[in-house]
Amino acid sequence: MQTTASPSLTAVQQAASARTPGPIRPYGRYLYLALNIAILIFLLAPIAIVVVFALNPTPFIQFPPVGVSLRWFEKFFASRDFMHALGFSLEVAVLTTLSATVLGASAALALARGNLPGTRLIVATMLSPLMLPAILTGLALFQTYVLLDVGRPTWGLVAGHTLVTLPYVVRTTLAVLHNFDTRLEEAAQNLGASPVRTFFEVTLPLIKPGVLAGAIFAFIVSFDQFPVSLFLVSPGNETLPVTLFNYLKFDLDGTIGAASVVSIVLAFVVVIGLDRTVGLRSYVKL
Amino acid sequence: MSASIEIAGVSKVYDGGVRAVDAVAMDIRQGEFFSLLGPSGCGKTTTLRMIAGFETPSSGAIRVDGADITHVPAHKRDMGMVFQNYALFPHRTVAENVAFGLRMRGLDKATIAAKVKAALAMVELSGLEDRRPAQLSGGQQQRVALARAIVIAPRVLLCDEPLGALDKKLRQQMQFELKQLQKKLGLTLVFVTHDQEEALAMSDRIAVMNGGRVEQVGTPTEIYNQPTTRFVADFIGDTNIFRGERTAAGRSLDVGKGLILALPPTDAHGTGVLSVALRPEKIRIAPRTDAATTAGSSAHGIVENTNFLGGAVLYRVTLEGGHRVLVQQPNAGTSRLFVPGNGVTLEWTPADLVVLKD
Repeated sequence: MQTTASPSLTAVQQAASARTPGPIRPYGRYLYLALNIAILIFLLAPIAIVVVFALNPTPFIQFPPVGVSLRWFEKFFASRDFMHALGFSLEVAVLTTLSATVLGASAALALARGNLPGTRLIVATMLSPLMLPAILTGLALFQTYVLLDVGRPTWGLVAGHTLVTLPYVVRTTLAVLHNFDTRLEEAAQNLGASPVRTFFEVTLPLIKPGVLAGAIFAFIVSFDQFPVSLFLVSPGNETLPVTLFNYLKFDLDGTIGAASVVSIVLAFVVVIGLDRTVGLRSYVKL
Repeated sequence: MSASIEIAGVSKVYDGGVRAVDAVAMDIRQGEFFSLLGPSGCGKTTTLRMIAGFETPSSGAIRVDGADITHVPAHKRDMGMVFQNYALFPHRTVAENVAFGLRMRGLDKATIAAKVKAALAMVELSGLEDRRPAQLSGGQQQRVALARAIVIAPRVLLCDEPLGALDKKLRQQMQFELKQLQKKLGLTLVFVTHDQEEALAMSDRIAVMNGGRVEQVGTPTEIYNQPTTRFVADFIGDTNIFRGERTAAGRSLDVGKGLILALPPTDAHGTGVLSVALRPEKIRIAPRTDAATTAGSSAHGIVENTNFLGGAVLYRVTLEGGHRVLVQQPNAGTSRLFVPGNGVTLEWTPADLVVLKD
């Protein structure tokens, strides 16, 4: 499932790196180009294999493929279980993105601006889910929910996803805040903007690239999340990765490939959609 | 309508116990170009930030037209500010930057458009409405910042070293334009600078600050001609400072190495240790004569260094006793310059000596 994350992440990274060309001497240019192509092949190969698998009519992985067919896509979209899981995954991903973005951006602002004691410790704690195996986070949350006797509600799953996606938003927002000139906020207040107005007129537009990058990470990480979901979903209300995992236990056919292709396409749609609506590209230039 | 500002015994103490501003008191009059002048770390910027409302005084009060605004938040103070780095909003166009303050005041679109147009015309930036700040030169950014601050018709305009980033020619031009604009609009303007020439050239009055305190408040001529403290005398322009003990009669000062200075007639004729300042241009320089020097108002010496400044010549002269003195002579175009090694006689009027507080 992690394969869907890599193309989108590299797209963001490439967009960033393409804007800062280093001083490259002519003969080094070819080496540079070759290296980049090699990295791209390495990153894209798993996706290519998944796509081939999804389009190959035989019910097992075969190379070279014997033909092209959409039967696995048909089976995927016709399956009530898969469709329900896809819808639920999207719902969880959207809710997670919202909560992780609001919480993470607010936390980053407080950490960058407030004179809080132990700021470094708080940052380290907030980023710790990145270092902890997600399966342990899932297990710990599972035990906590059992202890609290709350069952396995959707909000519990969203809370778990928020926990593991929060570090991305905190990190990317802190990065833009690091270069933020606070005199711009003073200028706004001097011109009559209240602190709230200053935030929406000046601060938010200027930290948007970081917040947005964090939101994209949050969406993709949540949509692909398997280890945490495994512990927190309730039977009959499962996310797509968990449903795929259960399916894999008994069947291995092209439906898995078709589901992966749909996931990849969805991730791209989200990135491009955000780009078009809130203008990610214009900010990457900064 | 422009306002007066009263700063009444304001101090700012930071967490570590650092007194950035120490019992500062001054009255800034309506329509006045008032400069806060001093070296970096003297508390001038902190004072300005307290007037703007970005810092809260630890003690004391700030009043505008008699009303206490010490605890009024910055966005309700109705003051324009030009920042050192201009602080233009990078995500907005020139017109949007200038319109910002008007929008915050809830004016309608047509009024805003008209005022923005007029403000940009005033700073000669018409036609650049749709540019982004990053596409402008330093001088243009400076003008946008100025337009943005004055378009709201502020009660007070605050400037934090606004010309510091410009090159010399442009700087002088902007000094002139800012002064013109201030007079034309009758603005009360508080100007922070570390550049004494800038302060002398532009201000109606100057407060010289040092170590968080106000050393002296006065007009440029008062500050230059009658500095009251050793710091002011030393900081503003070139000067010769002598320190010594009054002689028994109390009429002159023994500054050691055989040099006695006659004190000005205005001096109170007390006893004890005293510092006096004498501006280089108040000393007359002539070829050495064999005649004995007049006690207290002249001395023989040897030119050590000649510095041709164009409009004037600055000499460094070592007196016979060993004192080193700066002497400035206007360049009349006819007089021959003294060269290092020349013997000279210096002469001055005791009334030009300024007695300093330490």
